[in-house]
Amino acid sequence: MGIVFSRGRGIASLEQALQEGWVPPSEVEVRGLDSRLPVYPVSAETLTDKAVLAKARRADRFVRMSVLAASDAIQDSGLAGSLDKQRLGVIIATALGPHVTTFNFLDGIIDFGDAAVSPTAFSHSVHNAAASYVAMTLDVRGPTLTMTHFHFAFHDALLLARAWLDEKRCDSVLVGAVDELGTVMEYACGRMLKPAKDGRIKPFAFSLSPEAVPGEGSVFFLLTRETSGAAYAAVEPGDFTPGSFPAGSGLLLTDNSGMSGDESGYRVAVAGGMQAASYMPVFGSIMTGSAFQAAAGALVVKRQMRYACPVQDNPHCVNICSETVAGPVSNVLCLRLDCRGQGRTVRLMH
Amino acid sequence: MGAISAAGGDIAETLECFAAGRRNLGKVTLFASSLDYPVFEVRRPFVYSSKYKSRTIQLVLTALDEALAGAGLDRDMSGRRVGVCMGTTVASQLNDVDFYQSYRKEGAAGMEPVENFLKGNLAEVVSAELRATGPAVTVVNACSSSSDAIGVALSWIRNGICDLVIAGGGDELNRIPLCGFGSLSVFSHKPCRPYDRDREGLNLGEGAGVVILESERSARARGAVPGLFVAGYGAACDAHHLTAPRPDGSGLETAVRGSLAEAGVQPSEVCFVNAHGTATRDNDKVEGSVLARVFGTDAKVLSTKGYTGHTLGAAGALEAVFSALALREGWIPASAGFENKDDEIPIGAVRERTAITGQYAVSTSLAFGGNNASLVIGRCS
Repeated sequence: MGIVFSRGRGIASLEQALQEGWVPPSEVEVRGLDSRLPVYPVSAETLTDKAVLAKARRADRFVRMSVLAASDAIQDSGLAGSLDKQRLGVIIATALGPHVTTFNFLDGIIDFGDAAVSPTAFSHSVHNAAASYVAMTLDVRGPTLTMTHFHFAFHDALLLARAWLDEKRCDSVLVGAVDELGTVMEYACGRMLKPAKDGRIKPFAFSLSPEAVPGEGSVFFLLTRETSGAAYAAVEPGDFTPGSFPAGSGLLLTDNSGMSGDESGYRVAVAGGMQAASYMPVFGSIMTGSAFQAAAGALVVKRQMRYACPVQDNPHCVNICSETVAGPVSNVLCLRLDCRGQGRTVRLMH
Repeated sequence: MGAISAAGGDIAETLECFAAGRRNLGKVTLFASSLDYPVFEVRRPFVYSSKYKSRTIQLVLTALDEALAGAGLDRDMSGRRVGVCMGTTVASQLNDVDFYQSYRKEGAAGMEPVENFLKGNLAEVVSAELRATGPAVTVVNACSSSSDAIGVALSWIRNGICDLVIAGGGDELNRIPLCGFGSLSVFSHKPCRPYDRDREGLNLGEGAGVVILESERSARARGAVPGLFVAGYGAACDAHHLTAPRPDGSGLETAVRGSLAEAGVQPSEVCFVNAHGTATRDNDKVEGSVLARVFGTDAKVLSTKGYTGHTLGAAGALEAVFSALALREGWIPASAGFENKDDEIPIGAVRERTAITGQYAVSTSLAFGGNNASLVIGRCS
């Protein structure tokens, strides 16, 4: 796996963040908003790695986050030297794409007119620019695909990766998610979401109007048919039927983070008694947040460690993981519900 | 199948346009722009529903209705394992100039464009319209988006994820790509001339193409007799440049050969190739060299972009539909705009309506980002 998020870059940063738990977000002044907006941005220093980003020198943050996370996933897998790049695929999930560059391109139209815009801004404003840079950096020659969905983009990316592996279209697939924050999106978040005044996403409040702390980042997984020594978990994407209750001795991770409105449906899902947690308060509210949660879940499985919920407000007395404890975790079920009550899962198995 | 483009509001009109060799090119009327490049705009009134603000969605739903009717299917797909996979470019971006200009100038803007954007994910809209409960994916792979969407649909069917998939794509004429492609200096001021020695660049277009892929078991269960099928899909990345194809065409060649291998089809069994053929100097040169290497210099090649312009995220689906239609009808149209063979390209395009007798066709797509996609379309014998 490879990850870039507000707490840094790489698996060590992820593990440290899960051990440390919640930290206060940054607060930014956003033009047009009455109050400061709590956010979890990726720092500029996190995105400076001249060696890895050599082919992405002119690229934007959206691309840089993607290239770093994808490159780290390859390194972390221990398979860098043995991958057949002709048989390696890339699937990237994003909800909003490189909108900061899109708005930069619009700046050109507004300021200089239709005939004097930047070709570089245009070519980087397409959603698949990140996949292209990942392919160029890692010399990936297999299929590359970028997909978008506001709820289940990551789940569908996993589903397709599984299909590509099963039908032997690829021997391995880099599956990732990326979304970014920019000024305009911060303004939209401030207007359309309910920013958490105390900076805490509260996954177990199951609120009809949940609070959000917008975040950004990128996370990648290298999926293969065969298990290698460095593997984190077996992955199984699936459906969740409203009204059914996940049961068993594993850990249920709820992906709600205040981005999709009414979260009361999750209350039904946790009624089965499976111990629950959510690490979204570590990452922030991200439309493709399920990918970040899955990364945390994969680490739970690999380390056989249940990390404490970073925010433990628990008005409905759910059986949540309240302290970090080592112990057997056979499987982790990550659950995402959309505003229509449809649900999708990612099961991670030891 | 369903199709809407400047060539026609449906399949019948499109075939008539192809047969007549008509090219419905003109000035853009949908928005103001200082750029005066000719475009292929859908002039036919087609507002599908006042429920949606997006012209792309209106185009796609129009083509969807034709596809459903042709397949003998109802709009209500609840209770079946139905997936939706659509390609687009414009509909995936929050690129409302007025919204952004207002925010830039005033520090405030109405949220309606953002709300429309959040309600306008192409696959989510189609899925909701059909009450489908399977996967719904919008592929945003630039100009190969909807070829790749059909490829994804094929994977879903073959892996038993869905019984039936609505696949395709759409894109509207929009000021943003007009300015963007203009900045790349790839437009022609004249009607485009794919593969021609004197080609000067592309014309932008708009449209939507929708195909319905169904497993044999599902089709049999409802008594449907499929006449056409997607036999294979290949995709490969150039890993070379954000906007230019790899000069040796190796990525495209991998994609084409991969699609043929998946279909179990020899190049000699392919009766024509509907090429990406944008009419830019680079695309046609690289693509033509690859097609000559794979299919030989006598292969029948055409580009339907001479009738539709480059419809971006819709192009792959429209061209897959056109390829399937040609197999069904037994002829391909003249490759509009092609007159003189280019000595730098070892292959030419067909100059006149041409009868075809084979069972398979190939449709290729190249895209920003170095994406290459190839579909093998088959006609049931």
